[in-house]
Amino acid sequence: MRKLNKVAKLAAISAAVAVVLAGCSSSSEETATDTGAAAGAVSGTVRVLMEGVPDTDIVSGLLADFNAEYPDVKVEFETASYDQMRDKYVASFTAAEPSYDLAILDNPWVGDFAKAGFVQPLDDLIAATDGYDYADFTAPLRAIGESDGKVYGVPFYNYALGLIYRSDLVTAEPATLDELAATAKSLTTADRAGIAMQPQKGYKAFEEWGNFLFAAGGSIYTDGKVKLTTPEAKKAMETYIEMYKSSAPKNSLNWGPDDALRSASSDKSAMLVSYNWMLPKLNNPDGDSGALAGKFKLAPIPGGKQVLGSWHWAIPTNSNASDAAWAFVSWISSKSGESKRVTAGGAPTRTSVFTDPAATAKDPDYLATILKILSNAEPLCQGSNCDEMITAVGTEINAAFAGEKSVDDALAAAEEQANKIQAE
Amino acid sequence: MTTLNSTRFKPTWTSAGNSLLILMALSVFLPFLWLSLGSFKTGAQLNNPALLFFKPTLENWKEVLRSGVLESAYRSAIVGLVTVSLSVVIGSMGAYAISRYKTGGSSTRFGILAAQVLPPAVLVFPFLEVSYKFRLNDTLFAVIISHLSFVLPVITWFLIGFFDAAPKEVEEQALVDGLSRFQAFRKVVIPQVAPGIGAAAVFGFVLSWNDLFYALILAPGNSATLPVKIASFNTFRGVELGAMCAAILVAVIPVLIVSFFIQKRLVRGISGGAVKY
Amino acid sequence: MSFRLKLMLPLLAVFTASVGYPLLYAFYLSLTNYKITARYNTRLVGLKQYIATLQDPNYWNALQVTGTFVLLAVFIEFWLGLFIALALQKQKRIRNFTRSFLLTPMFVTPIAIGLLFRFLLHQQLGVIPTFLDKFGFSYDFFGPGKALYSIIFIDVWQWTPFMVLLLLAGLEGLSRSPFEAAKVDGASAFFTFRKITLPLLVPVISVAVLIRALDAMKVFEYVFAITRGGPAIQTMTIQYYTYQTGIQFYRLGLASAMSYLLLIIVMVIVVILFKRIESTRKNP
Repeated sequence: MRKLNKVAKLAAISAAVAVVLAGCSSSSEETATDTGAAAGAVSGTVRVLMEGVPDTDIVSGLLADFNAEYPDVKVEFETASYDQMRDKYVASFTAAEPSYDLAILDNPWVGDFAKAGFVQPLDDLIAATDGYDYADFTAPLRAIGESDGKVYGVPFYNYALGLIYRSDLVTAEPATLDELAATAKSLTTADRAGIAMQPQKGYKAFEEWGNFLFAAGGSIYTDGKVKLTTPEAKKAMETYIEMYKSSAPKNSLNWGPDDALRSASSDKSAMLVSYNWMLPKLNNPDGDSGALAGKFKLAPIPGGKQVLGSWHWAIPTNSNASDAAWAFVSWISSKSGESKRVTAGGAPTRTSVFTDPAATAKDPDYLATILKILSNAEPLCQGSNCDEMITAVGTEINAAFAGEKSVDDALAAAEEQANKIQAE
Repeated sequence: MTTLNSTRFKPTWTSAGNSLLILMALSVFLPFLWLSLGSFKTGAQLNNPALLFFKPTLENWKEVLRSGVLESAYRSAIVGLVTVSLSVVIGSMGAYAISRYKTGGSSTRFGILAAQVLPPAVLVFPFLEVSYKFRLNDTLFAVIISHLSFVLPVITWFLIGFFDAAPKEVEEQALVDGLSRFQAFRKVVIPQVAPGIGAAAVFGFVLSWNDLFYALILAPGNSATLPVKIASFNTFRGVELGAMCAAILVAVIPVLIVSFFIQKRLVRGISGGAVKY
Repeated sequence: MSFRLKLMLPLLAVFTASVGYPLLYAFYLSLTNYKITARYNTRLVGLKQYIATLQDPNYWNALQVTGTFVLLAVFIEFWLGLFIALALQKQKRIRNFTRSFLLTPMFVTPIAIGLLFRFLLHQQLGVIPTFLDKFGFSYDFFGPGKALYSIIFIDVWQWTPFMVLLLLAGLEGLSRSPFEAAKVDGASAFFTFRKITLPLLVPVISVAVLIRALDAMKVFEYVFAITRGGPAIQTMTIQYYTYQTGIQFYRLGLASAMSYLLLIIVMVIVVILFKRIESTRKNP
C-alpha cells in the first residue's frame, strides 16, 4: 500500500508537469485532446493479458501510435481464452512476482477483486490526469468500474447485447417481446430457424434471458435485492422457453454465442441476440458469412433495455509498472484514443465519441443504434460474488429450459440462491 | 501363452471376436482421422463436417506451433520425468523393504492403496494454499510435488508385487558372495525386476503426463503443462476448431509412437507379477 | 539405523510431504472460512462448512451423478474389456500392431479426448450428428437426460483399453494346466470360460475394477471440456463441483470440507469392499 501512494504521487507530479507543459503549447482544436502522464517521463514494460476478441486486435494495432507519444513504454500483450484469463490473473495477483502489470477485468470480477485488494483505486491517477474527463464515460459503464465509492476500473469496451437480424428477411424491427416471439416464429422454415438461442447453463443463459426479462418490463434487482419471482420474470421465462421450442434450431439447448453466430452466418437462423460488436464480424465480406455479409443489422432489444457487459482497465496492486500502465490506460481510454479505437471498429464507451466526426463517418446508423443501446443498459450483477450469482441464476434458467423444474420453481430458486450468495 | 481351447471353439466365437476387434479398431481410428482432417481445414470448411476433399491449409498447424503448445509439452515431459525418476528410486527402496521385510504388514499395502483413493480435490487446495505461502504458485515445482502424491503410490504398489514375485535365492546368493545388503539390492535384485520397473515407470509417466486437475489449479499461467494448454483452446466464447484439432494431435502423436513401442513390454511387465493382490 | 529403515525413510518422507501433510492441512482448511479473495480474513469456523455441505442438495446430486457414472462406466468397461482381451488373446497375426493401436485411447490426455468428442458429437460441426441426420435420426448428445450417458460413452471409449491391458496381462499370466485338463475332459468353451477362466482371473479382475472405479470417481476433464455440469446439474460430478466451489467461486474452505466428506464416504465404501473381498478369498 505504501508503494501505491508513492506511485500515485509520482503520477500526480508527472501529470502536473505535463499539464504545465501542455498549457504552454495547447492547440485550439475542439475535438478530443491527448491526455495522460507526461510523455517521455514515463518508462517501463507493461505486461497485460487480453482476450481473443476484435477489440484486442484493434488496440494492438494502435500500439504504434501510442509509442509515438510514449517511446519508453513497452506494452506486451498476451492472449488467452476467457476461462483461463481469470485464473491467470488471480494467480498473478496472489503471486510474489506478478506476471502482469496491467489487467483487464470483466464486469462481474470488479467488485470481488476490488474488495480482495487485488487492484488499485484509480481516483488519484484520474484526478491528476488533465483532460481525461472521466464523466464522459456513460453512466452505467462508470458504475460498473466503481466499488465502495472508488474507481477501480476505467472502461475499455462494452459488450452490451442487442438484436442482430437479417435485413432481407425481417421487415419491421420488433418493438415488444411478443412481437419478437411472433417474428421469430414467422421466420421459421424447414431449413432456417427464426432465432438462434444461447441457453447454455450458467453465464450464457442468464446473459441472454436477462434481455427477455427487460423486454417484459422486469428487472433483476428491486430495492437492492435480487427479485425474480415477479409476473414479468415469469412471462419472460415462458416466452423464452416457448421461443426455443418453436423458433430455435433443433437440439440447441447447450448453445453459446459461437454456436449461435455460426448458425446465423451459415444461413441456418434469421436472428440472434448477441454482443453489439458482433455485427461488423457478421457483415465482414472476408469472414465466415460468405454471401450473407452485409445483410445483417443491429437493433436494440425490444422494449429498449438490454443487458450490459463491459471490460475495464485496472492496475494490479502488485504491478511492477503502475505509472507506465497508467500512461497506456489513460492514452487508450482518452477521448482521442477512444476515437481512434472506435473508428477502427471498437465498441464505444464514451458519450463524446458518438459526436466524433472520425468515428461516426464509417457507419453512422450503427453508432446511433449503439448509443441507443448504451443509454439504457444494465449489468447482470452488482456487488460481490458476481461470478457465483450469475452461474447460480444461469443454472436455474437452464433447468427450467430443460424441463427439470417449473418456471416458478426455477425463478424462486434463482432468487433465493442469488440473494444468499450476495449476502456474504 | 494360454489360449482358450481352440478345437472346441465354434467358428462363431472367432468371427465374433474378430468383428469386435474390427469394430473397436474403427471406433479408435475414425476420431483420429477426423482430427487429422480437421487440423488442415479452415473455419468455413469446418462448418461442413462431412467434407472429405478440400484444399488444405497449414494455418492451424502454424498457429499451434506458435502458441506455445510445444513448450508446454516440454514442461509436461520435465514434470513427468522428474516425478517418475523420484518415484522409481524412492518407491523401489520402499517397496523392497515392504516386500522382503513385511514392513508394517498388510496395513502398509492398504495405506498405499488408500493414497490412490484420495480424491485430488482434497489435496489440491492445501497444495495451492502452501504454494501461495512459499511463493511457489504457478511453478513446475508445485506441480511435481502434487504429481508425486499419486504417482509414487502407484509405482510403489506395482513394485511391491514385482519384488514379491522375484525369488529370494538370488539375493541370498549375492549376500553369501560378500555383497552388502544394499549392494545386493542394487546390483542383483533391481536388474531382476527391471522390466517391471520399466512398465511401472511408463504407467507413472502417462499418469503424470495426462493430469489436468492439479496442473490447472496449481500452474494455470506461464508454467502451463500440455493438458492445461490444450484446455485453453476450449473457449466458451469462441472456438478455434482447426487449431484445437492440431493441438490435440500434437498431444496425441508422441503418445501413439511411444505406446506402439512399449505395449508388448507393458503387458509382459504387468503380467510378470504386479497384478497379484 | 537398520537397513530396512534406511530403505523406507525416503518413501515415508515424500509420502508425508505430498500426502500426509496436505491431508492434515485440508482438514484445517475445512474448518475455516478461507476464501481466495479474502485471504487475510480467514477465521476458524468449526464445523460450519461441513454442515453447509451436508445441507447442500447440489452436493448430494453430485455424489449421485458420480455414483451413477462410476457404476455404469466400469460395468460396461469391464465386460467390453474382457471380451476384447479374450479376442486379442486368440489373435495370431499382426498382434502387436492391433494391441498397440487399440490401447492408444488410454494414453491420450483426457482433456484432449473430451474436446475431441465435444466436436465429434457437436450438433453443427460434428460428423456423427451429420451422419445420423442422413438417416433421419436426431439425437441431442448433450441434451437433458442424455448428457450423462454421452459422458459415460466417452469414458468407455477412452478407458476400456485400460481394462483390456490388465485383463490381457492377467489372461496371459494364467498357467495352462487347468485349461489342458479341461480340454482333455471335453469341456465346452462356455464351461471353461465360466468355471475356470473367470475364477482364476478373480484377483486380476478385482484389482482392475478397483483401480478403474477409483479413477472413474475423479472424472473431471470430460465435464470441464463439454458440459460444465449441465444441462442444469445433470453432469455435475463431485470433482467438478468441488473445483467450481473452490476455484471458480473462491470458497476454498467450503471446497475442502466437501472433499473431506467425499474422502470419508469413499474410505468407508472401500473398507467394506475390502473386507468382503478378503472374506470371499478365505471362504471361496
